[in-house]
Amino acid sequence: MSSEVLLTVLIVLPFLSSLVAGSLPANARNAEVWLAGAVALIGLAITMSFYPDVTGGDVVRYEIPWLPSAGLNLVIRMDGFAWIFSMLITGIGFLVVLYARYYMSPKDPVPRFFAFFLAFMGAMLGVVTSGNIIQLVVFWELTSVTSFLLIGYWYHNANARDGARMALTVTAIGGLALLVAMLLVGHVIGSYDLDAVLASGDTLREHTLYTTILVLMLLGAFTKSAQFPFQFWLPRAMAAPTPVSAYLHSATMVKAGVFLLVRFWPVMAGTEEWFWIVSSAGLITLVMGAYAAIFQQDLKGLLAYSTISHLGLITTLLGMGTPLAAVAAIFHIVNHATFKASLFMAAGIIDHESGTRDLRRLSGLFKYMPFTGTLAIIASAAMAGVPLLNGFISKEMFFTETAIRNPNMFANLALPIGAIIAGIFSVAYALRFVCGVFFGPPPTDLEKVPHEPPSLMRIPIEVLVLICLIVGIIPGIAIGPYLATAVVAVLGQDTPHYSLSIWHGFNLPLLMSIGALVGGVILYIMLRPYLALGVEGPPLMRRLVGQRIFERILVTISWKWAKSLERWAGTRRLQPQLFLLVLICVVTAWFALRPGFGPVKLQLSGWDPGFVILWLVGIFCAIAAAHQAKYHRLASLVLMSGAGLVTCMTFVWFSAPDLAVTQLLVEIVTTVLILLGLRWLPKRFQKGDADHIALPTKLRRYRDIVLGVFAGGGVAALSYAIMTRTAVPDGISRFFLERAYTEGGGTNVINVMLVDFRGFDTFGEIAVLGIVAITVFALLRRFRPAAESVEKPEQQRIQNAYDNLRPNRQSGDTVNEYLMIPSVIMQWMFPVIIVLSAYIFLRGHDLPGGGFAAGITMSIGFILQYMAGGTRWVEDRLRILPVKWIGTGLLIALATGLGAWAFGYPFLTMAFQYAELPIIGKVPMAAALFFDLGVFVLVVGATVLILIALAHQSVRSPKAARSSVLPTHAVEPPPPPTLETSTVEAPGGAS
Amino acid sequence: MTGDQFPLWAAIAVSVLLVAGSLLMLAGCIGMVRFRSFYQRIHAPTLGTSFGTIFILAGSVVYFTVTQLRPAVHEVLIFVFVSVTTPVTLMLLARAALYRDRIERVQDVPASKDPLDNAEMQTSKKPS
Repeated sequence: MSSEVLLTVLIVLPFLSSLVAGSLPANARNAEVWLAGAVALIGLAITMSFYPDVTGGDVVRYEIPWLPSAGLNLVIRMDGFAWIFSMLITGIGFLVVLYARYYMSPKDPVPRFFAFFLAFMGAMLGVVTSGNIIQLVVFWELTSVTSFLLIGYWYHNANARDGARMALTVTAIGGLALLVAMLLVGHVIGSYDLDAVLASGDTLREHTLYTTILVLMLLGAFTKSAQFPFQFWLPRAMAAPTPVSAYLHSATMVKAGVFLLVRFWPVMAGTEEWFWIVSSAGLITLVMGAYAAIFQQDLKGLLAYSTISHLGLITTLLGMGTPLAAVAAIFHIVNHATFKASLFMAAGIIDHESGTRDLRRLSGLFKYMPFTGTLAIIASAAMAGVPLLNGFISKEMFFTETAIRNPNMFANLALPIGAIIAGIFSVAYALRFVCGVFFGPPPTDLEKVPHEPPSLMRIPIEVLVLICLIVGIIPGIAIGPYLATAVVAVLGQDTPHYSLSIWHGFNLPLLMSIGALVGGVILYIMLRPYLALGVEGPPLMRRLVGQRIFERILVTISWKWAKSLERWAGTRRLQPQLFLLVLICVVTAWFALRPGFGPVKLQLSGWDPGFVILWLVGIFCAIAAAHQAKYHRLASLVLMSGAGLVTCMTFVWFSAPDLAVTQLLVEIVTTVLILLGLRWLPKRFQKGDADHIALPTKLRRYRDIVLGVFAGGGVAALSYAIMTRTAVPDGISRFFLERAYTEGGGTNVINVMLVDFRGFDTFGEIAVLGIVAITVFALLRRFRPAAESVEKPEQQRIQNAYDNLRPNRQSGDTVNEYLMIPSVIMQWMFPVIIVLSAYIFLRGHDLPGGGFAAGITMSIGFILQYMAGGTRWVEDRLRILPVKWIGTGLLIALATGLGAWAFGYPFLTMAFQYAELPIIGKVPMAAALFFDLGVFVLVVGATVLILIALAHQSVRSPKAARSSVLPTHAVEPPPPPTLETSTVEAPGGAS
Repeated sequence: MTGDQFPLWAAIAVSVLLVAGSLLMLAGCIGMVRFRSFYQRIHAPTLGTSFGTIFILAGSVVYFTVTQLRPAVHEVLIFVFVSVTTPVTLMLLARAALYRDRIERVQDVPASKDPLDNAEMQTSKKPS
């Protein structure tokens, strides 16, 4: 297979199989494991197959043009460094899958776990193989989202929810900063391509924006890799299932941050700013993490802080800016992934087999699980940097780097001292882990007798520990060539000479190593009495918790500020809100238009008197509608439709039949819908005299009038100026007029524009329409009217009383009698309206009409049925499921658009053809017709849904007819009656 | 379409029909203004919706039949729908008005045949 296919499979396969995994049945544990394991192994195999192509700094690229004009192409790029990361992601991913098979309880919903897991793996592979820096950010954010889902997997647990939320907030904010950084990089370099960026390090470093870019990029990397001061989310993320922790916090998620630092090391590093920010943040994290790790009571907490500390070590190395330090950093990334993954898994086994992770309750487990114990001890030794294990080599490289004499005072003192202290601490917490869990007296307060896990569950740990040992003993053979591949990919020409051997002679770094080991042992022995007290949290740092600061900030932003903002500009204060909105519009428009509109000719001659009268009527209607809106809503609505009709006639006057038809239909539907809604608005009564209005109120009204006149007059002037200007000869309208038939196959230019030239716009618009309808439905589903509108309208009460008094009549008879003849006519009109709607739909491509107008017409038919038969009558008979219609319409439109791909055209390209049909004759058969069908179906669905939602309110009479509120098939069942009563009878209608 | 191609007899026929229809419409509109009560007024627009519409539609039929050289009869549909729906609307309006007037005890309205009606309606009405 070609490398293109392989690379695509590598990225796409995890996502696809994530979908598959999510749709498997809940008890398909083994199928899930087979699937996820196979995906990981395939990924591993693909990665391995690329090894010959990436050695010696070679790069494999696969570019998929997406938006070449904007410099945005999907680039999958595999080089040595991405290769070694892909190996870690897929390899450890496979081991974690195997481990999770035995770790996850049969009661846990495994499909969700493996679906998230695979998606996360895909996102991580996407990050490391991105050849476009924007693409990198997209995958980066995907890892944030998927890790959020993984950490919050046990969402019934409050800790898991909080931890997941915190991880998402912190890393996603970092991701945003990273996005800005990448956009700036693209701005400076002129390309988003990673190769182009890597080739222009000097440009970037000398640019004035360098510091900004650096800070933003580091925000991204530090939040992801839990560097000071963003380290606090990582321990909280330990609420995740242990396989997740083993994967996320050893090889993947947190390594994305240091991956980014290494990736951009060649272009960003080497400056003063880089050195100071990166190495100091790294050093603080290194020491603080190690210090905090000693005092953790939770096994996973200890490992979490140790992870933070090791990430700090890597960051410190990268901050130093020397090529040798970068080599050490890359090496330590690999080593840490192996030993930390195995330690997390061991911690999971201990938790699984003994029932607790609390170090205060665990002890002497070696007797019960000698095998696991041995593995954990070796892995901890690697973590502490004991010779003959992989951790030792990279740690010694770290000591070597820190010990190099540096002209910089800080570097000369702080780095080696910090390194030694952190080394001592890390030995101490490794000892605590080992001695606390495995040695000492047998455990006393465990719920079950600990025992060895199933041997398959131990295999992942065995493999990882074996790697630790092999790399530690024969580093040159075991890891040398692969490390070299990765290093050359990053450093290129600057690759220094380095040696991976264990014995470099008796020198300063070795002395530091020995010092750290001895110091760690002594520290642990000294601390034992204190640790035996079992106090939670590290001394001196207990108050300084980043997490608490984070929470306080979050509370301030999302609660206090949000509340005051809501108080100030919430929907309950619509008036100031609208005032501000209009004011801002007016001011902005005024600033933008200060240079003037250009020449505007105000022609006073040649006005048709009929048209002038028409408009005067329209203007009167509009103003009167505004005037009556407060106390006489019905009159206002009638006047508004008057203004609408005038608009419609204006369109006819100026030969715009399409607009006129649509305007007329929309006018009818909106009037009826608003009419239905009016009944639920609280009543308003005009107070006696208008003279006693307080002065502030008066002033406010004058202010509003002035603003309204300005806004309205401004819009009118603007429209006039635009519409009276002479058309540009090569303007867009000519293009449409000329091409409508030749390229769109329709003579109705408006319709061709809607379904063909501007099909994508229309697609977006119908999607919005569907969303609006669903929103209306959702809002009205739990709608409770204000207390004063709960009662039935007066007329209904009178009529029902009249009917109830007579023995031969039932409640509702009067209204039925009154509507007898109209309802017969309306019901007879229904088929006629359907035919009309079909007619409008079919002629749309060539003559005024189209899917939208047809859909509205169809819904007028439904409105008439509601009027004729009443809500219950219609709901009993309605066979339309509006939500499905909305979805179907959208899908039809989408499928038509996608159909163009099948013929090799861009999305939404419409073919057209005339077809000969029997009887009817020659009819245009444009693909646009199907698109229009989608529009039609969606419009019908959306309008009917809104109609149902509004009309259904009348059935929900809260007091008298409670028992008769029956769920119907067309509407979601109304909430249970108990809820309804309690809300309605609450004083003042608390809704 | 210029005067040359359009035959004179057709032009005269169309004009007469249009003017006649418009005059009926105008008469209906004047009636709307002039009549005193709602029940009188409700009769006025029927001038326009019956023969007013017929004349205008006939003019339209003649005009398009002549210009398009084939019979144009779409207007029949318009006539059918107008003559089916308008009476219904007017009837609804009239019944609503009558109902309301009875409740509000406007004197010059024919009383309901049911002698109990008015008394009950009055009692069941809430003072507002």
